[in-house]
Formats: sequence, structure tokens, C-alpha cells
Amino acid sequence: MTYRTISITNLNRLFEYIIESKDLFAPKEREDQPGFYRFDRILKPDEITLSYGTTTIPPKAFFFPPEETLFTFSLSDEGAKLNPELEEAPFVLAGVHPCDLAAIEALDLALGQPPADHRWLFNRRRAVIIGVDCTPDEYCFCGSVNTLNSRNPADLFLTPVSGGYLVEIPTARGLELLSSVETFEAGPEHLEEAETRRKEKTAQLTAAFNRTSADIAGVLESGGFGDIWKELASRCYSCGSCNLVCPTCFCFHTDDRFELNLTSGHRFRSWDSCQFLEFALVTGGHNFRGLRRNRVRHRWRCKFLHLYKEFGRVFCTGCGRCSRACTADINMADVINRLVHESENHSETRPGKEG
Amino acid sequence: MVIKNFSSKPRAAFFDFACCEGCQLTVLQLDDRLLELMAHVEIIEWRQVMSGRGDKYDIAFCEGGVVRNEDVDRIRSIRDRTDILAALGSCASIACHNSLRNEWNVEYAIKHVYGENAGDFDLIPVRPISEVVEVDYQATGCPVSLKEFVTVFEHILTGKIYRPPNDPVCRECKQNDYVCVYEKGRICLGPVTRCGCGAACVAHGDACHGCRGLVDDANTDAVFKALEPKSRHTIMEQMVRKNRLTETDLMKKLSIYDPPKKPENGKE
Ligand code: SF4
Ligand code: SF4
Ligand code: SF4
Ligand code: SF4
Ligand code: SF4
Repeated sequence: MTYRTISITNLNRLFEYIIESKDLFAPKEREDQPGFYRFDRILKPDEITLSYGTTTIPPKAFFFPPEETLFTFSLSDEGAKLNPELEEAPFVLAGVHPCDLAAIEALDLALGQPPADHRWLFNRRRAVIIGVDCTPDEYCFCGSVNTLNSRNPADLFLTPVSGGYLVEIPTARGLELLSSVETFEAGPEHLEEAETRRKEKTAQLTAAFNRTSADIAGVLESGGFGDIWKELASRCYSCGSCNLVCPTCFCFHTDDRFELNLTSGHRFRSWDSCQFLEFALVTGGHNFRGLRRNRVRHRWRCKFLHLYKEFGRVFCTGCGRCSRACTADINMADVINRLVHESENHSETRPGKEG
Repeated sequence: MVIKNFSSKPRAAFFDFACCEGCQLTVLQLDDRLLELMAHVEIIEWRQVMSGRGDKYDIAFCEGGVVRNEDVDRIRSIRDRTDILAALGSCASIACHNSLRNEWNVEYAIKHVYGENAGDFDLIPVRPISEVVEVDYQATGCPVSLKEFVTVFEHILTGKIYRPPNDPVCRECKQNDYVCVYEKGRICLGPVTRCGCGAACVAHGDACHGCRGLVDDANTDAVFKALEPKSRHTIMEQMVRKNRLTETDLMKKLSIYDPPKKPENGKE
């Protein structure tokens, strides 16, 4: 790994350079709610806030949009004609936090491996990603899921140091991009400053569970916890916000829409949530998770058990978005702690396995 | 081609029962797309826009609620004379504002509103059309969402079953990245309300008031839980406290369009 430093002025030059030839998306304060940020199209570098807290919608939306047309179609007596819809222009996504980098990496496993989701792969190849270090809030628990210092798949990674940023350059694409502006070799004092920052950041993490991913998977696999799921279900609205804001959720729903002419239309897909009543409803009318408590339970089992078994990593990056978004105050880290506590203290009284 | 169900150009009609006629007006907002629609159907009756009358129909769009005995006869007669009946909007599908009258008994309500002319009205408890006759298609909303109307229209003409969306408004709200109303310190019924409107009210800075009706398994009990002194519903609870809401207030908020059952325990 190569380390360089870049001044604020030169970083802004880099952003200007990017804007000249490509779309640049980065965190920007919302006009409709000051103090809130979202990844937005940037026209001038001073619109960017690299020291933002978090965004409601994660950056995965740039590779897997909330709703996208898969193809348009037209029907005639000669048959059906399909026109695939793919946006091709390359873009740069800047200001991605370590947890969100980890989420893109996780989705590269889930969507990028054969049989790959070709739209995900295609969009991923269009993008250069610039990461930036963050400041955790009370909902973040990246320290408990190994994403505190994630760098993959960033092409460049920025850590604030005096006079500018320390730049890590994990990829050749990053190196090429960075060569367009002046940077300096990083000295030991810069690395030290970044290290101090990391320590401070770790100390700021209040939400945590001190168990390994394997432990959590084991806890969930042991089953039971009926009372916890029941209690959560009594509060949960099944509103789906937790899944819709999650950077690693990848479930979607597909449907067709005709135009009023009834001969042309489009097929689209849009983000789905396993908390919705009809998520596991199948033809014939059976609903595999018709009970709210089973849907609640599924969210934890999906992220910390099923996908862990499948891909060797939990599909939760500790970003805290689900906990922030939940109007029923269902908190991801709290629930894990309750499960761990229950399994360690009451395992002998717990009822047997539940599907 | 795609039109499977009808041997010739289907005859369509629009009818209104007790309502504000806003759903019909919404359909008229199709403007020149109305001509596209008319390429597929022949409109033979639509009191709001034309004077013609029909006798038998292939498709009847019915707006409004059933509030008088004569409405029952009329909707039954339309049902008998049409192949497909589509409920247009919340009054026709889930009762909507009309049903607020059901909070009083009929005699009291009639006297209160019409005074000495009360005898001229043959009122009965308010019901949506869908509770009186069988409805084949349904588009809720106050007013109906134009996008959903087009979708329902397309489903009718291509012979497909239409399943109204059964996910909460939060779905569309999050997909559009709107700032959650709770962040602004107000109560939103989005988490228990059927989506399909694109979270229209949140998009325009308001909260969702639930005009599309409750989703099938709406956890309305959880809304009331926010009233409990030791509620863990921090966000809801804060709103309840800040706005000094009582159970009656919450019930009223929930009852404007689609009255839920009173809170009951033990449902998950
Ligand atoms: S955000 Fe909260 S209330 Fe909504 S589905 Fe998720 S856990 Fe339930
Ligand atoms: S099943 Fe649920 S938790 Fe798992 S990825 Fe899909 S929406 Fe997310
Ligand atoms: S489950 Fe919650 S904390 Fe974990 S990645 Fe998803 S939104 Fe973030
Ligand atoms: S504003 Fe309302 S509909 Fe939107 S996410 Fe918040 S609670 Fe749900
Ligand atoms: S946001 Fe709520 S009140 Fe507004 S149109 Fe949609 S369902 Fe109706």
C-alpha cells in the first residue's frame, strides 16, 4: 500500500478534474433538511461535505437503484421486442465510509459471483470509489463486525490529517486518478496522526457486542428466543424501513407495466423487504412467514446466520442505518446483545429450536 | 394482441355514489392521455362529462360510498348489468371520510344535519361499495392515484388479476429518499398505510394521513403502545408526548380513512 498526502486545495482540484469529464456523486447537505446528508450529483467541489455523519440511503443505490427499468418492450403482430436499458457512463463515487465500502464488498460476493447479477457487475465497473474515514455516532457498531477499517473496494481512501488528507491508494485506478493532481509522500507523522484518529474513533463506539461473527451465528442457530421475537413483533410495524436503508440488503421485486397504448411497456425491479407481509407469499397462497415474529426473526437470521454460512461473513456492517430509521426503536446492536445474553444466561430454560 | 378478455371494444362507464367526485376529476387529469384510453374502450356513460346513458356495460368504474337504501339498489343493479366492476378510490373501497358518520347513530346524524327535513332522507350506516357487492378491481386513495388507475385499467384490459400493493408507504418514501416525518417531530401513518401513491404527501412536506387505508396486517396495536408510560417506542412516544396526544387522538388520526379495530392484546 502506498500512502500520500493531499492538501484541501488539491483535493478540490481533483474533484474539479473529475467533474470536467465524469459524473461525481458525493455527500451533500440536504436542502430540505439541514444537518442531513445524501449522496448527490456534485457540480462544484464546495458542495461536498466529507465530514458528514451518515446518509439515510446507502451508496449501494448507485449500483442497485431503488427502482430500475430492466428493459422496455413493445408487442406487435411480429412478436415482442425487448430493449435492455443500461446506463453506461462512468462515474466517481466519493465520500464512502468504511462500513459502506464493506457493504459494497459484501454485495460483490452476493451479486457479483456467478450466477452474477449482470446489472450489479456492469454498474460496479462504471465506478471509481473514493472512501473517507468517518466519525461514529451512538448507532454505529462497526467495531463489532470487523468493518471499522474496511478499505475494499475503494480505489482511494482519505483520512483527515493536519493540512489535508492522508491518501491510501489500494488500486491502479486510484493511482491513475490521483496522478492528475499534486500530492506528497506521507511522513511517519501523518501515519501516526491517522493511527491516533483511528484509536479515538474506536473509543467513541458506544454500541457494541463483544462476540465474533461465528459466535453470533452459533447463537442464532441454536434457535429459540421466542419471547424476544414476540416482544419485537409487538412493536414492529413491518414497515420495511430497516431493509430499505440497509447497505447489504439485496432483495427485490420485479413487475411489468404497460403504457396506456397497451402495446409497449417496461419491466422494472425495486427494493423489497422481508418484513413486508407478502414477501414470502407464494403462488397457491402459502405464506412462509405470515407471522410478524417470524419475519422479524428472519432479518437477524438472514444477516448473521444464513449469509454468514453462505459467504463466510455477516451481512451487517454496523452502519446503524436500520436502528436510526426504525420508528419502533428496534436497535440492531441491542437485539444482538439481548440474544447473546439470553443464550448465555438462560440457555437451559429456553424452548427448543424454531425453524 | 394483448386485449384478451373482450371480443369487441368494451363499453365502459363511470358512476358516482356519496363522495366528493375527486377521483373522477383525477381520472380527467389524464388530459390528452384520455384519448389513448378511449382508443381501447367506448365510454357510454359518465355523468360528470357527458349526457349519454347505457344499459349494459363491460366495465363499470364506481366511485363513492353507499349511504342510503337507494344506493344499495343502484349498486346492485349496476353490478347486474356490468361484466367487470372496479371500485375507484377510497370511498368505494374502504369507506373513507364518509364513514366518520358511523360514529353517531343514523337518526341522530340525520336530525343534526337536516333538522326538520330529516324525513326526506333514507340514510343507513355508511359502507364502501366493496362491502355491498363483489368488486373485481380496486384502486384506493383519496383521491385515487392516477398511476394506479392506469395500472388497474391496463390489468382489466389485458385480463390480469390486480393485487393492490400491500406494503406500507414507508417503502416508497425510503425508495425516494424523503426525509422521514418523524425526524421533523410529527406523526406519520406511513408505517401502517398501504402504498401506491409514491408517498405523495411526504414528498410535499406533509405526513401520511392514511388515505389509502391500512395494510392487511397493520400493527395498529403498536401505535397505541406508544401511549404506555413505559413504552419502548422512543420515537413514537416522543411525538405522543410532544403533541400531548391521547388514545382518542390517535384513534381519530387512524380513523379518518380506514377505522382500525380497537386495540386488542396478544396479536403479533
Ligand atoms: S424499521 Fe422497525 S418497525 Fe419498520 S419493519 Fe424494521 S424493525 Fe419493524
Ligand atoms: S431477506 Fe431481508 S434481511 Fe435478508 S437481504 Fe433480503 S431484505 Fe435484507
Ligand atoms: S442491518 Fe442495520 S446496521 Fe447492519 S448493515 Fe444493515 S442497516 Fe446497517
Ligand atoms: S415519513 Fe412516514 S411514510 Fe415516510 S418513512 Fe417516515 S414514517 Fe414512513
Ligand atoms: S402519503 Fe398517505 S395520505 Fe398521502 S396520498 Fe399517500 S396514502 Fe394518502
